[in-house]
Formats: sequence, structure tokens, C-alpha cells
Amino acid sequence: MGSYLLKRLAASLLTALLASILVFLLVRMVPGDVVAQMMGQAGGENAAAALREFFGLDQPIYMQYLAWITHVLQGDLGVSWTRGIPVATMVGQAFLVTLEIALLTLFIATVIGVPLGILAGIYENRPLDTAIQSFNIIGLSAPVFWVGLMLLVGVSATFSWSPPLRFVTPDRSLADNLAILALPIASLGLLQAAAYSQFVRQNVVSAMSQEYVRTAIAKGVPVRGIFFKHILRNVMIPIITFMGLILIQILGGTVIIESLFALPGLGRLLLAAIETRDYPVLQGALLVVVVAAMVVNLLVDLTYRLIDPRVRVS
Amino acid sequence: MRHLDRSRLRGLARALVGATMLGAMALTPALAQEVSLYGPAAENAVSGGRLNMGLLLEPPGLDPFHQAADARIRLTVLVYQGLFYEAANGTAAPLLAESYEVSEDGLVYTIKLRQGVTFHNGKTMTAEDVAYSYNYIRNPDNGSPGAGDFSMVENVEVVDANTVRFVLSARNSSLPMTLGNKYGGVVPAGTFDDETAKNRINSESVGTGPFKLVEFVPNSHVTLERHEGYWEAGMPYLDGIDFSILPNSASMLVALRNQRVDLVALSRPQDVQQVAGVPGLTVERWPSLAQTAIDLGSELKPLDDVRVRQAISLAVDKAEITRAAVGEYGTVLGTMTAGMQEAWGLPLDQVPMQGPDRDKAKALLAEAGYPDGFNLTLTTINGFDWMDPASVTLKEQLNEVGINLDIQRVDLGVWVNNFRSSQMGFTFNDWASQPDPNLLFYRHFHAKPDGADFRNWNNAEASALLDEGRAEPDPAVRKDIYNRYQMVMAESVPTIMLYSPDHVTVRSDKVQNFVQHPTGWYFGLARTFLAK
Amino acid sequence: MALNVSPAPAARLTTTGRLMRSARREPGLVLSLVLLLLLLLVALFPQLFTPVSPLDVAIDQAMLPPSPEHWFGTDDVGRDVFARVIHGTRVTLSICAGSLLISALVGGAVGLVSGYFGGWFDQVLGRIVDVLLSFPPIILGMIITGVLGPHVGNLILALSIVYMPVFFRIARAGALGEVGKTYVEAARSVGIRERTILRRHVTRNVMPLLLTQYIILFPMILQIQAALGFLGLGVQPPTPDWGAILEQGKDYILFAPWMSVFPGLAILVAALALMLLGRAVQKRMDQR
Repeated sequence: MGSYLLKRLAASLLTALLASILVFLLVRMVPGDVVAQMMGQAGGENAAAALREFFGLDQPIYMQYLAWITHVLQGDLGVSWTRGIPVATMVGQAFLVTLEIALLTLFIATVIGVPLGILAGIYENRPLDTAIQSFNIIGLSAPVFWVGLMLLVGVSATFSWSPPLRFVTPDRSLADNLAILALPIASLGLLQAAAYSQFVRQNVVSAMSQEYVRTAIAKGVPVRGIFFKHILRNVMIPIITFMGLILIQILGGTVIIESLFALPGLGRLLLAAIETRDYPVLQGALLVVVVAAMVVNLLVDLTYRLIDPRVRVS
Repeated sequence: MRHLDRSRLRGLARALVGATMLGAMALTPALAQEVSLYGPAAENAVSGGRLNMGLLLEPPGLDPFHQAADARIRLTVLVYQGLFYEAANGTAAPLLAESYEVSEDGLVYTIKLRQGVTFHNGKTMTAEDVAYSYNYIRNPDNGSPGAGDFSMVENVEVVDANTVRFVLSARNSSLPMTLGNKYGGVVPAGTFDDETAKNRINSESVGTGPFKLVEFVPNSHVTLERHEGYWEAGMPYLDGIDFSILPNSASMLVALRNQRVDLVALSRPQDVQQVAGVPGLTVERWPSLAQTAIDLGSELKPLDDVRVRQAISLAVDKAEITRAAVGEYGTVLGTMTAGMQEAWGLPLDQVPMQGPDRDKAKALLAEAGYPDGFNLTLTTINGFDWMDPASVTLKEQLNEVGINLDIQRVDLGVWVNNFRSSQMGFTFNDWASQPDPNLLFYRHFHAKPDGADFRNWNNAEASALLDEGRAEPDPAVRKDIYNRYQMVMAESVPTIMLYSPDHVTVRSDKVQNFVQHPTGWYFGLARTFLAK
Repeated sequence: MALNVSPAPAARLTTTGRLMRSARREPGLVLSLVLLLLLLLVALFPQLFTPVSPLDVAIDQAMLPPSPEHWFGTDDVGRDVFARVIHGTRVTLSICAGSLLISALVGGAVGLVSGYFGGWFDQVLGRIVDVLLSFPPIILGMIITGVLGPHVGNLILALSIVYMPVFFRIARAGALGEVGKTYVEAARSVGIRERTILRRHVTRNVMPLLLTQYIILFPMILQIQAALGFLGLGVQPPTPDWGAILEQGKDYILFAPWMSVFPGLAILVAALALMLLGRAVQKRMDQR
């Protein structure tokens, strides 16, 4: 276990390092730099050159990378070029928002998706299954931003209510925080609940079709007993694994939903940083996204190994 | 738009009654006219309360020295102050200046400063601070996008504690307007000696304006608070302003209807339809100094041929494009923005090469060697909503004379880069200036190296007129010079000015005495109050 | 004689019968095929469904609600939304199908070679794929289109990069699985060249896996394409594309909701049909 963990960590670190190079290069390929943005239609070339020097943009690209990665490895993500705030602060705040959305969405998706999936699996091919499956397929097919838009307008038209504008962290006011996040989480959660339910159903169906389960049912053992004794145990592992996948999916989905609902999360930070060509912020935010996705994958892997003895032995 | 629901339109018409209408304002270059700073003072004003204002565009930063974005200027005019205020009527009214004298040769401006002005940090403003601030911004090494505007300033000297002297290298009749609030402002001497000051300025303000910065949280909000030591007695009325940033106009309109925001300046006038007639909301429209335009870069063949440019100008139906882009919420232009047309514009019936005149356009194209037309790519910018419907309409219009238009939408960053390197090609543009013809035209259209000549126009006659206009102190003579310039511009077509979009603001009924300045900047908030 | 005639109608009967039976057993597949056929017809022959051009501007007809003349209403410059959605079908679906085909071909081919031959080449590619997979797909697509600028060519490039690693992995795993099998060794022992084995046999066995993945990923790439369009990074105006129509309509949602409702529904229907097909195909693969 220990050596496996070390190996996985080393591999993840290497991937993260390579990803950071990719991120760095990608970001610098964006045409038009921050100075051009700041200057707009005004300003002379001397002033622009002075600003480029200030930002270190006159250095060769590998020097820029070395300077950046050295600081990153020391835990310093630099300072935003347009706002002058430390990138770590900006990305940290934004990450917490996205994390809250992601965890709440995951919670909703699990609470709705898993029971629906189990029900559908147990009642395979019965009307209930068909109904749940229809929900799943439609939920998976609907574009998430479109659902969000429809929800926003629908709720506003029906209740003359719209979410408060200024984002409030849950420690300042939980009620306001939840009022702001209700609609975005509802639109994201619906989609992910559908994905979750679909996945759980498949696993329940395949667990149910195993020989001993079929024999037990044929012998007249009540389904409930079989379910808790055999099926649930078999289905637990994939359910947990899938949580990780969903979490990464949500991380991507928030980009769109954050820009629709004006939430100050990572997605909006990324979009704004692309627009203003704020390289340190863009690099920092992308790096955090990548590392977060890696950590989730690693955690899933480890839980998987802890729960399933067969994997542990091999 | 004619077929819109009539009852809605009636509601809209009612909503607009009482609002300032286009043309109600004349920007005359008169000199000795008393203007009220920021807007009219209210007689029945009450102090107190915080205003919730919605922002569709987030300022990329709040540094008036190093950030050119218009979204920045809109807010920082409340926080930082220059020596003059660019009044809506086209005069430069003394702001931090009290009065000024110009030397006989027009090269030395001696400016007396207002006394009793304090910075947000409590320090009193002195001539030292003023000289520092303007010497800092005019030095290109300091990287200000505004530096170019001050290139004719040779030095700013301290005369005594309350007087400064601006020494110019050439006559410049728009100096006071240049010392306005677009770039820079007066900050304490030595502010930028500290390397971290450029960063700190986004979280802590060091100006003299009626409001000071409390908090700027990216992608979320900007909070301003009244400056207790502000020099205008009893001003401002508001305790503070909370700007909420909502980049999505659908969400913004929903928030307006549900009273989450008190005041919004809409970026697309046609959004009015979606809030017109909502009880408790008032829609107002205001004239503008902004312009939308088609720019024709001569570096792109065949736009180097003046006949081709003239043909395009003749093929364009400005009124139809305006209708497609902003409905009735725009003023069709000749060669001057709407807010300055009366004071400085060439009368519309005298502007040459105005369309639509398709036969003449076709004849010119044939003469230039393109009887069957040619292919052309129009660049539009991501995020500028008006450009989409306008580009579709333009495509149809040019098609009539045989020009096949491809539309290419690029990111603002890409566009700005092309623009700055004078590789703009055939593009839509959307820009504004202070109410002065020199500030409007010089940098954009004067030949290099004095101007930037973004469109590679390189027109000697036009450049000479621009030089002449800049030096001329007599307003009447100046107006004549700029009229001649506009004739040249319209004949040779480096740009086709389309329309000025009206500023449209929506406020809840408790918001009183807000006047939208024609620049689009939020000067008016310094005089706004909330009804109890 | 009679013997020769009778089997034919009998066989026809059983075929029809089988079809009916499977239709009853898999209504999802039938629905999917019907919808896909319709979408294909719309994409190939949009003129059959509407005589109106999706580009015709009529300013005085702007933002009319749905009516018998304009089934889906008109947009902000008076274009017929129904015509735009109909003509958008070809644009949207061909961009998605094309991008996914590129990722399947490139990712699949490279994955096959990498898995079959192994070595440092495989190692390096594995790393690169790990790096690409460490980005959430939408964010990767967003960054690439953001970097390259919004243009159809760049959009296709970005979309094809997004899922290339998935095909790479599947093809690689498939090739790895085949390498150890006896027929490969047998082929080697009789002197067939490696390249021929890879092309003739391994590829043939891995193909169904790639095809299944193609169908499964199709609705997902549709969603990403629409999302990028929604962020303004997709197809350029005035070309009708579902995501782009939606993006344009979203600002008028209070006044003219039809501008965004219908393109959204179109995306939903297409994704639904493709997803149902994907499930049916996967079921068959699992059964094999």
C-alpha cells in the first residue's frame, strides 16, 4: 500500500508538472497580451514597452517559465497583473466557491440519483424503471446552461424572485448563501443525478443477474434481504468510484453555470483571466483545476483499494 | 421593431416621458459659462443610504494611471479627480483647479489650485502632489496608456503651494480637457515610488474624489464609501455605492425586475423592451459621445484604393444598420458623434459620400477595376452585441453592390492587438472620447509618428488640418478648421461613422437625481440620492 | 418448386416479426432511429422543411412570437428561428460528427500503434494523454478555443483534441489485449509482417470498441459544442448553429423566450436520440 501510494503520488506529480508546462505554453499562445488590453486604443509604444518590462514579458519564454515554476514550488502563485491581488488569494476564494457548488451538487446528485438508480435496477423493465430511465435520458440530454436559463426565468416569472446578486460565503450568512446557490445547484444537480442514477441502475441490474441472486429469488428469499446482504455490497464500490467521476464532471460544468449565474468561482475566474490575458491568474487557476482533478482521482483510487480486498491483495 | 407589441411600446413611451431627450443638449465650445460639476445639485436632496448599482462590464482594474478600459473610467471618475471636469456642454470646468491663465504664446498655463482638498488618506493636497501626478503620467517610462495625450507637456512645475505651471512644446487648445478625469488624477507625491503601489491601488484608493474604495472583489463586486473629508460641502449624498458585477444581461434584467439592483446602465438599448412598463422602474435615455463605426485599414487590399472605400461608404445604409443594431435607441451620424454634432459637427446635409447610392457605388467599383465586386472579411468582436445584427445587415447591403462579405468574430484581445499594430483590416469599432474634436480625432487619424494612424490612412491634408485645429485658440476658427477636416475624412473614407448609441439607464423610483454623462462615465452618482 | 417458393414469404414474415418484437422490447432504440432518421433528413435536405433562408434579415419583423408564419418566432433581426434551427442541424451535427471522427481516427490509430509496439513511444504518449486527461473536457475545449480564437476550424480542432485521449486509451488497451493472443503469435510464426498483423487483424478486432465509443461520446461532444457556442467561442455569426442561436437568444429571454427555447430543445432531442442509440449499441456489445 505504502509503495503504491508513493508511486501514484510520484506519477501524479510528474503529470502535474507536465500539465503546468502545457498550461504555461497554452496561456502564452493566446494572441494579444495583458499590456495590449490595458492600453486599449490609446497609449504609445514606449509606455507599452515599459509595462511589458514590468511584467517580465520581455524575457524569453523558458526564463518566464522557470521563474514562475520556482515560485509555484515555493507556494507562491504570484500577483494578478490586472488586479494586484495575490493569485493564491483569488484562486483560493474562487476555489472555495466552486468547491461548495461541487459538493452540494454532488450531495443532491447522490441523494436523488442513488435511490432512483437502485429502484430502477430492482424493478428492471417495469413501468417504474421506464419512468426513471426516461428522467435519466432527458436529464443527460438537456444542455445544463439551457436548464439553468429556463429555471432562472421560470422562477423569476412565477415567484417574482431571483437570487441575490452579491455572493455571500456560508459563514457570513448560510441562508443568503443557499439562496444564491439554489438555482445553479438545481440545474447542475438534475443533470448529475440523472448520470448517477443511470450508472447505479446498471450496476444493480448486473448484480441482480448474478447466479446466486437469481437462485435466492427463485427460492423465495425476500428481495429486501438479498438486496441488503449481497447487492448493496457489490454496488457500493462503483457508487463511490463514480462519485469521483461526477465531481470532476461538476468541476467542468460549473464553468458554464458560474458565468450564467455570476458566481465568483473558478470557472468565471478562468474566463475573465482569458479575456484580460491575466497570465498569472490563468496559470494559477488552471493548475488548481488540474491538481484538484488529480487529487479526486487519487482519493477514488485509494478508497477503491481500501474497500475492495481483492484489489488490495493484488 | 415596428411590429412590436403596441401596448409595450406605449408603456415605453410613458416611461420615457420626462427623460432628457436627444438634442436637448448642445455642447458648445463656449468658455465663460457656469457649469455645475458632476450634474445639477438637488434642492430636496436627502443624505444617506447605499445605492445598489449593477455593472454589466467588470472593470479589469481600478488603476487610473495604467488601465485604459472604459469600464475602469466609469468608476474611477468618482474616486480620482483631475484639474478639470469635462462638462457635458463641451467646456472644461475647473475641478481641482480653481482658475487658470494662459500665456500670450499659448505655451504656458498657470493654474491656481483649489484649497482645502484632502486625499482619502487624510493628507491635504498641495501643488507638489499635482506636479508629481502629471509628471508621472506624461513620462512614457511609467507605462501609462494616457501618456500619449500629454506628449505636448514639457514640464509641470510648482510655482507656490497653491499654483502649478504647465509648460507646453506646442499650442494645444484642448489642454484643460486633457487634464480631465480620463487618465490619472491627482494622487499624493511619491505614490508610485513604491513598487507595490500599482497593485495596492486596486484595494485602496489614494484620490480626492467624493467616494473612496472599500473593496474590489473580482467577479463579484466593488464597494465605494463616501469620502468624509470631501471638499464640496454636503456632498456626496450617498453613504456608499455597491456595484454588483453581473456579466450576463439576461440575469441583470431579471435582477432589475426583482429589485435586486436600483440602477443599471444598459449596454444594449433594446434591452429596454424587457423592463419597460415594469412598475417601480423608470427608463431614461441620454445622448452619447460614443460612436460605432466601420474602419477601413488601407493596408488591406483593395481598401488602399480610395474609390473602393468611397463605394463601400455609398453602399452602406447607416439608418438600416442602426435600426438593426439598436432599434430606435441610436442617432445616425455623419462625421461627428451625437453629443458633439451641434457644437462641432459638419452639418449632416453637407457630408459627402453618404449612402445608400448603389448605382454610384457600383460605378466607382467598376472604375477601380472591380465591376464584379470582390470578397472582403469584416472583423467583429466577441461580446459586442450590436456587431452581430449590424454585421448581418452590412453583409446584405454590400452584397447589393457585389461585395461578398465574410464575417469573422475575434476576441477583444486579438482585436486590440491588430488595431494597435495598425493591422485592423475591415472592422467594426466601438469607441468614445471626451467632448473635444482634437481628443476625438488627433490620435486616431493624424499620420505617424505624431498620431497613431491606426487605419494607415496617411493623409497629409487631414494631418495638417488636425495640427492647425489643435493650436487654434479661437473657437469659431477652430470649428471651421474641423469642418474642413471632416470634409476630407468623409471624402477619403478611412472610417464610416455609423451611429451613437444612446445611453439608456433603468432606475428604481427611489433613485433620484442621477444624470448620465455623455461619456458614459458615472459622474452623476456624485449627485444622486435615495428618496426616503 | 413449392419448396423453393414457400421459404421466402416465411422468412419475410419472421423478419417483420423479429423487427416488431425487438421494437416492443427496445422502444428506446426505435425512437432513437426514427429521430436520427429525421435529423439526418433535416441535415441533408433542410430546404424540404423550410423554404425560408436562415440568413434573411427583416428588421421590421424582429422578435415576433411563434405564429403560423413563423413556427418558432423570429429573432432580434427578424430572421425566422425555425429556419435557423433547421439549417443549424447540418452545421451543428457535422461539426460534432467531424470533430469526433478526427479524434477517433487520430486517437485510435496512435493508440493502436502505441499499444501494439510499446516502448518509449508508448511511454511518452501515455504521459501526454495523462496530462490531457487531467483537464475537465469543457475547460480544455474552452482554453483551446480561447487560445486559437473563435473560428469554425479552431472549434473543430479543439473538439477533436478533447476526446482524442479517450480513443487513444481504448485503442491502446485493445491492442495490448490482442498482442498476447495466439492468432498474433501464429501469424508471426508464419512470417506475416507486424504491420500487416496490426492492420489486418488487430485493427479489425479493436474497431467495434472504437465505434461504440464514438456513439457514446457523440451526445457529450454535442453538449460541449453547444456550451462553447453559449460562451461565444463557437460558430461565427451569421451561420446558424444551435449553440450560437441560443447564445444570441439568451439576452432576450424575458422578452422573446422563443429565441432560446427552441434551439435548446433541438440540442436536447438530438442528444436524446444519440444517447438512446448509444445505450442500445452498448447493450449489444456487453452481450457479446
